[in-house]
This record gives sequence, structure tokens and C-alpha cells, in this order.
Amino acid sequence: MLVLGIETSTNVSSVALGSEQGIVASTSLSRGKGHAEFLIPAVKFLCEESEVALSQLAGIAVGVGPGLFTGMRVGVATAKTIAQALGVPLVGIASLDLLAFEIRYTPKLICACIDARRGEVFCAFYRQVPGGVQRVSDYVAWPPQRLAAEIEARVEEVLFIGNGALLYKERLPKLRTEYAAFSRAFPQASALVELALPRFFREETDSLYELEPLYIRKADAQIAWEERGVVIQRPGRVKTRKREGER
Amino acid sequence: MIVLGIETSCDETAVAIVEDDLVRSNLITAQIDVHSRFGGVVPELASREHLRAINRAIAQSTEHALISMRDIEAIAVTIGPGLIGALLVGVAAAKSLAMVLDVPLIGVNHLEGHVESAFIDRKDLAPPVIALIVSGGHTMIAEMPEHGRFDILGQTIDDAAGEAFDKIARFLGLPFPGGPEIDRLARKGNANAVRFPRAMMGDDSFDFSLSGLKTAVIRWIRERQAAGEDFDPADVAASFQEAVVDVQVAKTLRAAEERGRKTIILAGGVAANSRLRERMSEEAAERGIDVVVPPPRLCTDNGAMIAAAGLRRLARGESTSLDVAPDANLSLA
Ligand SMILES: [Zn+2]
Repeated sequence: MLVLGIETSTNVSSVALGSEQGIVASTSLSRGKGHAEFLIPAVKFLCEESEVALSQLAGIAVGVGPGLFTGMRVGVATAKTIAQALGVPLVGIASLDLLAFEIRYTPKLICACIDARRGEVFCAFYRQVPGGVQRVSDYVAWPPQRLAAEIEARVEEVLFIGNGALLYKERLPKLRTEYAAFSRAFPQASALVELALPRFFREETDSLYELEPLYIRKADAQIAWEERGVVIQRPGRVKTRKREGER
Repeated sequence: MIVLGIETSCDETAVAIVEDDLVRSNLITAQIDVHSRFGGVVPELASREHLRAINRAIAQSTEHALISMRDIEAIAVTIGPGLIGALLVGVAAAKSLAMVLDVPLIGVNHLEGHVESAFIDRKDLAPPVIALIVSGGHTMIAEMPEHGRFDILGQTIDDAAGEAFDKIARFLGLPFPGGPEIDRLARKGNANAVRFPRAMMGDDSFDFSLSGLKTAVIRWIRERQAAGEDFDPADVAASFQEAVVDVQVAKTLRAAEERGRKTIILAGGVAANSRLRERMSEEAAERGIDVVVPPPRLCTDNGAMIAAAGLRRLARGESTSLDVAPDANLSLA
């Protein structure tokens, strides 16, 4: 069964093509072109070079974050619409799960942790189980000091993975901690394809109309409204409209 | 030729199927409920809603058009101007469709779409035309000497007309969006009750400024309230609307006369304003100029106008590369 994987929840755009026999082709990019520019040409390139017709794809997998809002949306919109146009099933998998899956061979507590900007990280904890990892916490958006306090309190060996952990290494506990190499700092579509395949076989697929990114954070306007009753003004005319910042 | 058009530049998720000059379906998923309590469009919420709505809108557009996805021969999509996060959702979906269906992609300027909406099902109509594009995000006078070519004659130097309507509506305690509410209330009021300023009315540019008017209206209301004087909100709405319409009508007519054009197109969401349509039609008629206003479903942001503009570009042999990125500030000319 050929599956296309799309992962764009961080700066890295990552696309992979694979089946139960292994990864057929993959590519990723972390600077220059943005997700919106890179993604579709990348899919075409992988298919052409590996001589796979789009009609041979039997499923589409997508990393649903948590991560950068705009990146996640581009990935999810692309994956959903490819699935819709091909008429094939769709599977969404949390991007932090992909990171943890890559270092599943450790008995240590795994902390997958990516940069959430604004001085925070998106993170979750995992433990090794037969055949993979199991998540043992919620997905959260925390400042590094909060994560550091959590690690201190646990008093056990922790293996960090992800660009968020590397970014805030100096502010995280030194004792009993270790960091996965930066070559694994970003969630990759190849892991996504591998993790998604069993979901397709078990037919645990997601609805085209209901799958959403894991935002974790609310929109600023909503937070302001709920906490203080503050209304954020309509943006100015288009010329002066600021680009919506990645967050 | 069957074209699917996608428009997600602001707060409507819109998908349409247009076959040559026939609109076969025109789906618009509005997000008013999401934004109304904020009194304006919140970009992040708009982006989230677009992603929620886009695939159902695509499915329904083909169902309503009684076609299958395989019948689609091209994909047109708004690539700007607009909210970048919102545009990205539509562009991602459009590219995916174009790739899988193996049909051309055509990136369309949102404002060009508004102008082209007037030409749908109007074989009698042809450029050159003068267009007044007025909406929540835009206030602009442009000349279209031929399809696909534009000269921007003037535009707002501060607020868009729709923004000013929303702001004043909020001040008068009317719900969002303010345009239709002001229009309705103004019909019951006296347009000459208060003489609000007509900014840039006398100068020889075709630019607009609306922030001074907005401030003047708000100051006027506050002064009455401070003095404990009663006033009729309908009079304020009518007088404010009249000030906006006066300038827009005068400048658009002068543009048509200076350029020697005999057709004016009124496009964009605010083109639905009854007073603007009425005054423009009357005063243009006195000068032997025709005014064309698309039906309401084509005035508000919609996918049919994008598909129609895409069809024109495709007919001229144009298409867009699959690595195109949307541009929040894309210029019409
Ligand atoms: Zn518009």
C-alpha cells in the first residue's frame, strides 16, 4: 500500500512516499521556499523520480502538529485536498509523536519538544512500549522553565528530542538528561508514513471534514476576549495589513 | 470549459463551478458568527474556519453543479490581496486539486475577480470600463481598458469603505457586518440632517480618505451624548452614508468622464449598498453613462468571480506555476 506523507508543522517541509516495504522516496527543506511553495512541486518530484503515478497512492498521511499555525494549515489543507481528489483515506498523526517514535529504543522517559515561538515549546512525554512508544502526557505549550520544573520533579533519566529542547538546552536540567542529535530535531514525513501505515491497515482513518491541526493555543483575539473582554480591532486596509505572524 | 474557482482571501470560504458564461454552482460559507463578537475579522480565526470549511465546499460545489471532479478542466484561485493565512488555505487546496486532476492552475487577483464578476452572463458588456471596487478591505477606482489590464486611478489612503461602515455601525450599536445594517437604518433617516465632511472631494485625485469622516461622526455622537441631547441614529446613519456615497459617486463619474468611458462597474461587497447604487445610476444616466452592478451573490466575495477571471486568463493562454505563493499585498496593476 503506497502512502504519501506530508509534515509541515515546523520550519521544515517534509514529504515522503512509502509502503510496508519501506520508504520509496523522501525530501525535506528547511529554508528558502516556504511550505506553500515547496509542497506540491515536491510531491510531483517524488512521484516522477520514483515512477509512482498519483493514482497509485492508497492513502495520505499528515502531521497535524502541534506546531506553527500557518505551516500546519498548509500541510493539512494540502493532504486533505489530495485525499479528496484521489478519493483515498486520510490519517492525521501528531507531529510530536513522530519525534518520539524515532528514538523508541530507549528505556528513558522521552520528551519530544519543538519550538513554539513566543518563548514557549510544544511538548509531550512518551515511554517505550513493544513496537513503538506510548504518550504519557497531554500535548502542552509551556515556557522552558515550566518544562524544567516538570523534569526536576520526575527525578528520572530523560531523553529529549526536537528543536525546542536544543533551543532551550541551557535552561533545562543538566542532570540525568540527554539530547538526540540535531539531525532528528524536526519531525519527518518518513516517520509519519511508517506510523500511519498500521492506521490505514486497521482502517483507523480520519474524516476529511473533521480532521484539524492540534492548535493547543487559542487565537490571540479569543484569549483577549475570554480573559479581559478586550476586542482586537479589525486589521487595517490590505496595504497596511501585517502578515499574520507564524506562532 | 469547466473551471472551479476558490476564494479564501478574507472571511468567506467560497467555491464555485463556472462553465464558460454559466455559473453552475456558487457556494459561500460565511464566517459572520465567528467574527461578529469581535466587531471585525480576526485573521487567525478566519484561517481556522477556512480550513474547516474548504473541503466540504469543494465537494458541494461539484454536487450542486451536477458534475464529477473529473469534469473540471482548470482550477482558479485567489492569490491576493487579502489575509495571508486565509489565502494560504485556498491556494494549498487549489494546487492539490490542479496536481491530482492534472489541469492548469490560474492564480487570480481578488480585485480583478470583483471586476470580472460584472461580465458573467453579460455578453453585451465589454471593456473599456471604469470600476469602483468597494468592500470591507478595499476602496479603489480602476480603469480596465481590456480584460486583464488595469490602471489604478485612485484608492483609499486610510480606511476601506466597509471598515468605516463597520466602525460606525458598532458605535450606533448595530451588529457586524455594519454595511447592510447602516443601509437599512439610513432608509429611515434624513441624509441632510448632519453635514459630515467630504474628504478629498475637491481635489483632482481619485484617492479617498475615510478616517476623518469616521472620526467626525464619532465626535458628533459623543458631543450629543455629553450634552444630553437626543438624536435619531437613523439620521446619523443616513448622513454618514451620504457623505461616503457623495465622494464615491463624484470621483467615479469624473474618472469615467476624464477617460471618456461609457460604462461604470460597481463591484465588491459595499456595491450592494442601495444608496450608492441608486445615486450612481441616477447621476451616471444624466451623463449617458451605464452603470453595471452584479447581482448580490456575485458582489460579495465568491468563487464564481475568481473562476470567471481565471477563464479569461486561461483563454489568453496564461496559467500559474504550482510553486506560486499567495501575496497579501498583491497589486492589481
Ligand atoms: Zn472582496
